[in-house]
Amino acid sequence: MTAHTPRILTDAETSLLDAYVAAGNTNAARDAAIAQLKDNGLPTRRVEAFHYTDLRALLKAGYSVASRPTEELAKTVGAQFPRLVTGASVQHFRDGHFFDFGEALPKGATVVAELPEAKPLGGNEDATALINTAFAQDGLTLSIAEGAEIEQTIGLAYAHTGSANTIAAQRFAINAAANSTSTIVYRAVGLEDVQYLSSSVVDLDIADGATVTFTMSIEEGNLAQRLGRLNVSLGNGAKLNLFILNVGGKLVRQEVNFDVVGENVDLNISGVNLIGGESHIDVTSRITHHTPNTNSTETFRNVATGRGRGVFQGQINVRQAAQLTDARMACNTLLLSDDCDFSAKPELEIFADDVQCAHGATVTDLEDSYMFYLMARGISETNARRMLIKAFVAEIVEDLEDKGLAEGLEGRIDTWMEKHV
Amino acid sequence: MLEIKNLHVRIEEDGTEIIKGLNLSVAAGEVAAIMGPNGSGKSTLSYVLSGKEDYEVTEGSITYNGQDLLELDVAERAAAGVFLAFQYPVEIPGVPTMTFLKEAMNAQRKERGEAELTTPDFIKRVRAAAGDLKIDFNMLKRPVNVGFSGGEKKRAEILQMSLLEPKLCILDETDSGLDIDALKIVSDGVNHLRDPNRAVIVITHYQRLLDHIVPDSVHVLSNGQIVKSGDKSLAIELEEKGYADIIAAAA
Repeated sequence: MTAHTPRILTDAETSLLDAYVAAGNTNAARDAAIAQLKDNGLPTRRVEAFHYTDLRALLKAGYSVASRPTEELAKTVGAQFPRLVTGASVQHFRDGHFFDFGEALPKGATVVAELPEAKPLGGNEDATALINTAFAQDGLTLSIAEGAEIEQTIGLAYAHTGSANTIAAQRFAINAAANSTSTIVYRAVGLEDVQYLSSSVVDLDIADGATVTFTMSIEEGNLAQRLGRLNVSLGNGAKLNLFILNVGGKLVRQEVNFDVVGENVDLNISGVNLIGGESHIDVTSRITHHTPNTNSTETFRNVATGRGRGVFQGQINVRQAAQLTDARMACNTLLLSDDCDFSAKPELEIFADDVQCAHGATVTDLEDSYMFYLMARGISETNARRMLIKAFVAEIVEDLEDKGLAEGLEGRIDTWMEKHV
Repeated sequence: MLEIKNLHVRIEEDGTEIIKGLNLSVAAGEVAAIMGPNGSGKSTLSYVLSGKEDYEVTEGSITYNGQDLLELDVAERAAAGVFLAFQYPVEIPGVPTMTFLKEAMNAQRKERGEAELTTPDFIKRVRAAAGDLKIDFNMLKRPVNVGFSGGEKKRAEILQMSLLEPKLCILDETDSGLDIDALKIVSDGVNHLRDPNRAVIVITHYQRLLDHIVPDSVHVLSNGQIVKSGDKSLAIELEEKGYADIIAAAA
């Protein structure tokens, strides 16, 4: 039977199509993306990459594309989120729109504040990126010059200013040229108690011999829905240290895709997901080793409580040519309440015969003997829990080379614990 | 200070009764030794006093300075001045010792309505106490008890005790795993804390510790009850004759 039955669109799908028409910001690529969404719909659990995040069921209806906020509002809202690091040079976005606040870039870095081209996309497995292609309002391309060794942290900061039921979509391209060194912090924040849809795609290209330290601090508002993707390509001898913090958001889907296309690549990924309240946080990672002699490590520490639901999907593909790949993945989770849950799924596809791939996942509650020991010294149950949670995630955060940034991130973790533990 | 009456305790999980009608009173300023064979209920008694959850009190009472101790949770008891020096101090990866000490000292100060310690004041106190116990200050930069030797862990327990200045100290086999020099240091640490307003319960298998920490009273615990009480000479008698005779005579 090949009879084609027209699919009935859900409210969320229909309203995305309506929002696209209403925005009137069209071109061939956008049209193609919206046509794909219309034809295939949003992914359900039957699409393997969305097995634990049924986007068709979870995505809310009624969004429209956010207009440009006033400069005054852009500044006022920004000021509500103290910076994670001092001394950084930051590029600002509000509700998907670029704002030039005149922060001088360090030598060796240039920015072109135009929407970079979107990458070609597949079926509804790519829904996250399709939505970004269709709706992206603004973006920029950050280039790090060949051989540049930049010490100053470069920031890409996005804030949602609180206009309810709006889509804010931005796209960034980062090109780290050969033999350059740079430190980049990407941060997404939003106001509490406002429903909005945040869409973000980052294409990070790390050329031969370049080193990038990239941190993503994703701190969306408690009612926010976020669809984010990071695509990374690594050339010969490239090195990436990536850290991801997820704290907040009602629905957060963050995809991280890595193509290791050069040899002798060193890829280190770590992250902390704090999942409380009604949050649904999904980090889906895909590492593809195309070439021989490369290393990747991936470590996530997750804390789930309240009615939080967490997801980690870690795919490692080792292509036939990728001999001597060494890939290691670990996912450790604290489950702190009866109503929270966490799903961890490793997927290894190995076509080369001389490789090492390891994966492991653990799930625990706080250790009773630790709790007793701390409380036997007068530390209250709440504070004892916080100390142990902090210890669990601090092992990852403390590994960050930038101690100032680590402190900033720990501050965010403390704030989260004050609310949820 | 401490009045235990007809205490019955069982293990919550399987219902095994460990303490079977124990009576004990310890006055302020007193050092009471509790001795007894393996499995007599010594460690259970220390856990019940400090409030560990795995035990259920089915009968009897524990009154501490006029207060029903069983009403309080673990942290509240500690804040009220009950301190257990663990037989097996717990290693807690990821929690720096200094952070732990500061949190503990300030939690108790807060409970007593005192101001939090400033960082310099805190460090000064820890340095002084560590010096007395011959603890290398650098050791305290490590996570709680992680990588400490057996003797270092016991000294760290006494360090905590001296910093927290409890009213009722319970030493659960603090002598186990200590060499002679460490035993002396730990005993000196405890003796230093002897005070007319402070009671100490020393739980031990051996008389040796009591040569250093001379008790005011000695109690023999057997099968969940105190079967004999006496002064320090009772400990010497036990060392000579063993538990079997004393327990048989008491039965």
